[in-house]
Amino acid sequence: MQERESISTTRVSAPTMAICVAAWLIPGLGHFMLRRQWRGLLFMVIVATMFVLGIHMDGELFRLDGSRPLTFLAGLAEMGVGLLYFLARLLQFGAGDVKAVTYEYGYTFCIVAGLLNMLIVLDAYDIATGRKE
Amino acid sequence: MTSHFLILTVFAALASGAFAMLMREGRAAQVRFGVFVFLCFVVSAFVLGWLMLPFPS
Repeated sequence: MQERESISTTRVSAPTMAICVAAWLIPGLGHFMLRRQWRGLLFMVIVATMFVLGIHMDGELFRLDGSRPLTFLAGLAEMGVGLLYFLARLLQFGAGDVKAVTYEYGYTFCIVAGLLNMLIVLDAYDIATGRKE
Repeated sequence: MTSHFLILTVFAALASGAFAMLMREGRAAQVRFGVFVFLCFVVSAFVLGWLMLPFPS
């Protein structure tokens, strides 16, 4: 209980915050900043490959539409990829083709890539705060 | 890429690689756990596929 209180009241330092933001924007960058280059490189390759394959399979990049809760959540999950999501939107990829055989596979890949990157950000946070070696 | 099995395999390989790196420390433990998760993905997909076979599409 006491430990939980001490964790909840711990303030996140600026470098830790910077690492988390960097890890979100570019998958794996947080681990690079923490001198875990090999791990960071693999995370970068895994998340980017999954996201690009999702787009390639006619997956859709969902918008944050408040009137459709599931679409909103899917968009939020895809945004977990960071800059790649915004870059793909800017370049008008990810329109999605519902008639394509791989449409569902495509957006699933994009969503999972975003969710995986969120876990990677949490991993970088744990390493930066010393909870994990 | 329209082969369902190929897509399943690629997905399983990428996801299990990330999980192994996140949840295990040390190269040997990561490889063991990654292979285990990969096999879980693929085998469970086959089992679920067979279980769903009697149901009409």
